[in-house]
Amino acid sequence: MTRTKALAVALMAPAVVVVILVLVVPLLVGFATAVRDPELRVALPRTAELLRAWDGRGVPEEPVFAALAQEVRAAEGAQALGALSRRLNFERSGMRGLLLRTARAELVAPYSMALPAVDARWGEPATWTMLRRASLGVTPLYLLRSVDLDVAADGSVVAQPEEEAVFVKLFRRTLVIALEVTITTLLVAYPAAYAMARLPGAWARLATVLVLVPFWVSIMVRTTAWFILLQREGPVNALLLALQVVDHPLQLIFTRVAVILAMVHVLLPFAILPMLGVMKRIDPRLARASASLGATQWQHFLRVYLPLSLPGVGAGGLMIFMLAMGFYITPALVGGTGDQMVSTFITEYTTATLNWGMAAALAVLLLAMTAAVVGLAVLLVPRLRARTA
Amino acid sequence: MFARRLLCSALIATGLAAAAPADARDLMVVGFGGGFQDNARKHLFQGYARASGAAVKDDVYNGEMAKIVSMVKARDVTWDVVMVEAPELVRGCEDGTFEKLNWNVIDRNKFVGGGTVACGAGAVGWGVTLFYDQKRIADGPKSYAELWDTKKFPGKRSFRYTPKTTLEIALMADGVPFHDVYKVLATKAGQDRAFTALDRIKGDIVWWRSGAQPLQFVASGEVAYAVGFVGRTARAAGEGAAYPLLWPTLLYSFDYWAVVKGSPNTAEAMKLINYMTEPAPLLALAQDWAVSPATKAVADDPAVRARNPGMVANHAEVGLSISTEFWVEYGEDLEKRFNAWAAR
Amino acid sequence: MIGVVLTRAWLGLVLLFLIAPLLVVVPLSFSSGEVLTLPMPGFSLRWYEDFFTSGRWLVATRNSFVVGLHTAAFATLLGTLAAFGMFLWGRVPRLPAGLLSLPLVVPSVIAGVAMYFAFALVGLTNTLAGLILAHTVLALPYVVVTVLASLQGFDRTQLRAATSLGAPFPVVLRRVVLPQIAPAVAAGGLFAFATSFDELIVALFIAGPEQFTLPRQMLAGLREFLSPTITAAAVLLTLVSLLLLALHQAVWGRKGH
Repeated sequence: MTRTKALAVALMAPAVVVVILVLVVPLLVGFATAVRDPELRVALPRTAELLRAWDGRGVPEEPVFAALAQEVRAAEGAQALGALSRRLNFERSGMRGLLLRTARAELVAPYSMALPAVDARWGEPATWTMLRRASLGVTPLYLLRSVDLDVAADGSVVAQPEEEAVFVKLFRRTLVIALEVTITTLLVAYPAAYAMARLPGAWARLATVLVLVPFWVSIMVRTTAWFILLQREGPVNALLLALQVVDHPLQLIFTRVAVILAMVHVLLPFAILPMLGVMKRIDPRLARASASLGATQWQHFLRVYLPLSLPGVGAGGLMIFMLAMGFYITPALVGGTGDQMVSTFITEYTTATLNWGMAAALAVLLLAMTAAVVGLAVLLVPRLRARTA
Repeated sequence: MFARRLLCSALIATGLAAAAPADARDLMVVGFGGGFQDNARKHLFQGYARASGAAVKDDVYNGEMAKIVSMVKARDVTWDVVMVEAPELVRGCEDGTFEKLNWNVIDRNKFVGGGTVACGAGAVGWGVTLFYDQKRIADGPKSYAELWDTKKFPGKRSFRYTPKTTLEIALMADGVPFHDVYKVLATKAGQDRAFTALDRIKGDIVWWRSGAQPLQFVASGEVAYAVGFVGRTARAAGEGAAYPLLWPTLLYSFDYWAVVKGSPNTAEAMKLINYMTEPAPLLALAQDWAVSPATKAVADDPAVRARNPGMVANHAEVGLSISTEFWVEYGEDLEKRFNAWAAR
Repeated sequence: MIGVVLTRAWLGLVLLFLIAPLLVVVPLSFSSGEVLTLPMPGFSLRWYEDFFTSGRWLVATRNSFVVGLHTAAFATLLGTLAAFGMFLWGRVPRLPAGLLSLPLVVPSVIAGVAMYFAFALVGLTNTLAGLILAHTVLALPYVVVTVLASLQGFDRTQLRAATSLGAPFPVVLRRVVLPQIAPAVAAGGLFAFATSFDELIVALFIAGPEQFTLPRQMLAGLREFLSPTITAAAVLLTLVSLLLLALHQAVWGRKGH
């Protein structure tokens, strides 16, 4: 390596190291959180060890019962047991009560008799095989639940009951909203960018600044604005009533329309700016060339201008789609319960329900889905490949 | 030059990191906000600060346990005393989220029946009732059964985003008499019945999460009817809003003061809780806000009751007492089902 | 011709759609009413007064500036060095370029939740230092891209000339390179500040109430207190954004597009 190259590496290193430490490592931690299963090992370490050694047939031997009884008893009122009961209750309802009742019971050996006397579930193989799975340290449960699947008592993968199957629908809804927003934004932006590219100097600069203003204004401010605008007695309804377009206020806020409107507003500059960049580079003499060859303006647009401007559309579209897939604040504030996207659930599981495994699993799947769609688009549309390479 | 600047930046960064987790900090009390907390700040938090010399700060949350559990887990406890609803308190006590209270510091005999549990000392009674703006709707629903009649009473309805209270309300709307609500809700069929009843009006529901929201929703006309904290509704009505206080739609319970496990100010926090449940500061508070304390001497004081007709304690016999035992037993499972139901 | 008229009319509508919502908040922030609706009951400055006298909003303002300025400083320093490193390498190297563009392509909710899990392990949640680190990474790509663009016009022979005259590399960087790319560095710094100043999602995950920034406090205001002070905050925040945009245009505007 030459001296210059060594220097180049040294100059890039600090930034690269910071990105790795602050973003790449956390992402890996996040992926790990989706499959980690530490609660049983932390709360009942000896029981976990014995369970791992057990062959998983029927119910285990007395030593496992004894270890569980003693460790649960010792852990009563401790954080670790709380975490374990949340973890097991997530897999099967009622486990929390079972653990607490067991922790409080006065037990005497032999525990393989005493525990089933406290609760019949301690005599069932299904309870023990579930505990054994929870002792392994890694679990597919969160990822499975994120696609509405579950682990049955015998360890096989089954579909979730209909009343709890929500996530496939949620991912589909997220994808649909992201695509609707992307397409709407591109359709709105294209003629606007086209007009901007042909404006005379000073006007073009003014228009550019007007596009840049919302781009610089905080997304929170813009969402607040929409929250106020779309209220039942807000400015939009007031205007519609005054113009006698409607005779009673429309339900605007907490609807899908509100979500799409506000998201398009936030994302429009991301479409207009790259389109503008590409359109400005299209040689205006091409129009004359087409005309001299006998093409109408419309034919020129379809055959020459549109294909040449597509890279800008593609770049903007990809960016918008990626951003839209991860939108949280806009649907959360102006959407109804039926308009929430995956991000809402990631936030909810982290900050309210305290289920980090589910939050991480949903994040992993969202990232995978976004990457898959973007990758597919880049593969299928050669122009995009040239652009992103 | 660059090296020096880099060094400077690194120093600033480490300085920031080191300065961040301050060990000696003020007592932090966290509650549900609103008018109660504004008045509690004056009479209870600052009253204690004046009496003891300790500095007391306060903040607001919406009752979600995640924040508290994660600070206990991370051993970075920044809240000391928290106002908690009963089932969450009992569950958090079992899970090691809250400290067992020190009954040598806090006088256990001053509370009404049920006013104390291992990890909590009764703070105030709270309740929710149905309300609407009579300036917009002259004659609204008077019961939950009527609230479910979307033909006769069109418009959005707002409920708190939680199964607790919402499922009870759904059953009452479906015709279950209020003394049978928990018996029915303890069965799978009863739970199905509650969710089926909610399904009938699902399209008209707007959920609220913080106590200020139902008032804003009704005041701005965003929703026609809301079930909100009665203390705030009564205060708004007292200040001129045309909100009827429909006491037969009351569901009520106690909030408790609790100490977050691992708080560096545990001893001071116990003293603060004892002060906040003493009759004298509560009587002073009752001058400004219609509280229903769990402290016997104040709760039974006829003068306080007469001055504050909106006290929850005055209407206990017509309302439904939210069952702590029920929600300790079924809360986690019903929350799971409720969240899944709401997401569909 | 008719096409020109139609597309220009459409552009006008789009620009109106982009700008009008931002303007609606302005009159509401001067309302004397408690509820965010029109028509306004009267004119008052009470929400601005509330903003400038309430502890929460002042703490949030201070946090926003502390985090924004630190973010701008770190991101500008790291980003400028990295961009120059890429320039020296010759062809933009794939791996560092890919890594440095990662903050742009990872959805912020995913970055936020990942940082929350990882920062919790090392005690960086609920600290300003954690927020500064996170925002630095989010702002880095913008600095790198801007400075790299400006370096396209830099003549490499100057480097050889300066080094052959015996100037040590840091001196070359400061005396020869920096003056020529100064507008880009300033523009990158401004954008880094704005990125941090506007950022909400990562703050939502890793900041506690003591570290609330202005957007985070606005969210709390909209969700939990519903006080019209948020409209005053929105107007003030918009003014800061406009100021940053004007500065950015002044140092970089025409070259940037």
